Amino acid sequence: MWSNARDIAAGDLVIIWQTRELIQPLLITPGKDLNSRFGYYRHADLVGIPYGSKVGSRNGKGFIHVLRPTPELWTMALPHRTQILYLADIAFITSWLDIKRGSSVIEAGTGSGSFSHSVARTIGSAGHLWSYEFHEARANKAREEFSLHGMADIVTLTHRNVCKDGFTVDDTVDAVFLDLPAPWDAIEHAKKALKKTSPARICCFSPCMEQVLRTVNALNDSGFTDITMFETLLRPHEVHQISPQPLTQAVEKLKKLEQKREDKRQHQIARSSKRKRDDLPETDTDNVGGKRLRTQESAEEDVGIRDIPNAVVDPGQSASQPLLIKMPVSKVSPDVRGHTSYLTFARLVPTAPSSVTIRE
Amino acid sequence: MDIPDCEDATSALNLFKVTTIQSGHTVLLRLPSGETKGFKVEKDATVSIGRVGSFRANELIGHPYGLTYEIRGKELTIQPPHTLQEVEETDATNELINDGEFVQPLTLGEIEGLKKSGVHASDIIKAQIEQHANYSMKTEYSKEKYKQRKEAKYSKTFSTVEPTIYNVCDHWFKKDQNRIRDIRPDTLSQILNLANVRPGGRYIVVDEASGLLVSAILERLGGEGRLISICDVDSPPAYPVMTLMNFRKDVVTNIHSSLNWATAQEDYTPAVAQESSSEVGKSERHKIRLDKRKNAADTLLNAREELFAGEYDALLIASDYDPLEILQNLILYVAGSGSIVVQSPFSQPLAELQSKLRLDPSYLAPSITESWLRRYQVLPGRTHPTMNTSGSGGFLLHAIKVYDDPNASKVSSHRQSKRRKKEADGDSSVPQTLESFETAELEEEDATVVDQATLLVLTDDTTVVQQVTQ
Repeated sequence: MWSNARDIAAGDLVIIWQTRELIQPLLITPGKDLNSRFGYYRHADLVGIPYGSKVGSRNGKGFIHVLRPTPELWTMALPHRTQILYLADIAFITSWLDIKRGSSVIEAGTGSGSFSHSVARTIGSAGHLWSYEFHEARANKAREEFSLHGMADIVTLTHRNVCKDGFTVDDTVDAVFLDLPAPWDAIEHAKKALKKTSPARICCFSPCMEQVLRTVNALNDSGFTDITMFETLLRPHEVHQISPQPLTQAVEKLKKLEQKREDKRQHQIARSSKRKRDDLPETDTDNVGGKRLRTQESAEEDVGIRDIPNAVVDPGQSASQPLLIKMPVSKVSPDVRGHTSYLTFARLVPTAPSSVTIRE
Repeated sequence: MDIPDCEDATSALNLFKVTTIQSGHTVLLRLPSGETKGFKVEKDATVSIGRVGSFRANELIGHPYGLTYEIRGKELTIQPPHTLQEVEETDATNELINDGEFVQPLTLGEIEGLKKSGVHASDIIKAQIEQHANYSMKTEYSKEKYKQRKEAKYSKTFSTVEPTIYNVCDHWFKKDQNRIRDIRPDTLSQILNLANVRPGGRYIVVDEASGLLVSAILERLGGEGRLISICDVDSPPAYPVMTLMNFRKDVVTNIHSSLNWATAQEDYTPAVAQESSSEVGKSERHKIRLDKRKNAADTLLNAREELFAGEYDALLIASDYDPLEILQNLILYVAGSGSIVVQSPFSQPLAELQSKLRLDPSYLAPSITESWLRRYQVLPGRTHPTMNTSGSGGFLLHAIKVYDDPNASKVSSHRQSKRRKKEADGDSSVPQTLESFETAELEEEDATVVDQATLLVLTDDTTVVQQVTQ
């Protein structure tokens, strides 16, 4: 598919990794430049360096990583023309449908080609993928991409409405994947295209439960068995460092706080009695000052224990300030995908060899 | 293993795995209870499946996987595929149904008698239903469920299960998930895709999951590519999962090499000196033994040379040993832009690993994920998630190996020098607080800048905040 060479060459498609959210494909064209948030780069500078290199920008404004394309990176980087499939669904479908080296597979519709790239990678040159797309412009764009990515031998793209007109092969494929609004209209066609003498499988990808129920009925009516349905999601974790604080510290701080407040109060009393002795009138400013002081005090009282900065650990200090242990811990990220689609699977039982009796 | 001529000659999989049942295969059978069990199928032998019955193995040989059979006597008849029947809607409820001992009056003795006299399972079930006190009051769904439970008990049917890596993993996960480190089929599929496992690829694996990873990689390689596995035992470990895959042994030997942690060290030298078998005066048996030893030594040497030459597409780890140590041992042999996938049944070891890899410029974007999987029962009128489900499929850490460029400046150092310049010029417009770090800098996978998520949490822990602002 893409280059297997160690080093980047002119004309290669590479993946530029800037951040986890900024991953883009780039066709290395000497003479052209890349201008990004992380600086300015010349395509020519990338030729001859190994895939996986970190490259600093020419104007010192940061760096990028230049990676070898894989279907997984492509899924993250590709220009969306439709809603695409992501890793969890692609991987699970590939596995349940037993897609592997040499498999023959049908996919409808092609969409933005996310699934197509993964299948092509998995089946290799010994297998074949027939992909169908009913939208002409998208079909052309996909065909272009497959060609550019060296997949034209493995993938045959047909512009066709498979629900109306069926597929272009008979008794040929090990697996069919349907990502269509009305997959039940393509089930009978799929059955024709699937192999009859070895195990064959089908998967229908639908976001809504109503679609699933109709699909299940269609699969059942067509003689598919082992009909089952799954949903799968990826839960990314984020890693933090935590340092559980000892309670004794809180106790110490609270005691100190109380003492400070008491000292301040005593100081106030001393000051006002001194003023009385000196026979000074109580002015408004005093009251205001008092009010201000009071609000400052109450503000201090409201100060949480956590807001008082810990002193930097000093080995000369008493045992009441122990070294804090840092623990790496993980939790699921708050932003998780809630749903992609329901995956409905079924098997087509192979025809038995003619030598064996079949129970009526 | 004999390969019959009836096989599809154009199938590329001929090279690697046969698609029909052969003598010598260990075949997964699905029993009426739903359980899957492995049975050796040897020509002319008998296969015995406990309560369900026994039959001659020859009956299965040459058949495609995935058919359903019924045992009659010692012979098998193939059952046509069973599709779901519509179940009528119902007004019935369990309002008046009382459970108890006398609900189903056929005694165990009576049932055994029926079985012995060869009455078909469906007739036994019919007899039970006729005498059942509450059967007619049940909902149609409940009746279906009752019939299915009885079928599971008395039926003499079974199916063969194709040894796809999905089915084999699923079988092991249900039977003994601890021995495969909780690697559930969805997690396994993600490991394979993240590591870009494909025909012709080259991979290093540390597999302490009973050979599940080795089997999965070999399956995806399909006889084309290379796999080196590293283990902590002297000779190649028994990978029990591989037995069910029924790979062709000669093909596997060509692609799969094995080393242990000692022989995988570059500075390792063998303890035993090599004798030459060409010396005169040695017995034939002695010479054969020496040749065998020489072959083993050559195999070892070749495997080592191949490992040290590096440029592997990915490194996959499912091990109880410290993952950081494993990486330190093997990362040199992974190609730039290659994948590293580390699996654990627990999240904590991966959290620790990630916090260290994050600071190492040889690893790009180390990320931890956990897979969630929910299965639904899809039956007319009875569609809902399955009542039993798996709590965990394990955790994964994925990172990309990259080559550092120490001269590539990070954005923050560029901005810091700008800020220092501004301060020197008396420009106080540049704020001095932590918030002055812009998101772009935080998002950089830079060696000395902690990532954004951590930074936001650290503002609660003021001790560490001080260290970061330095």
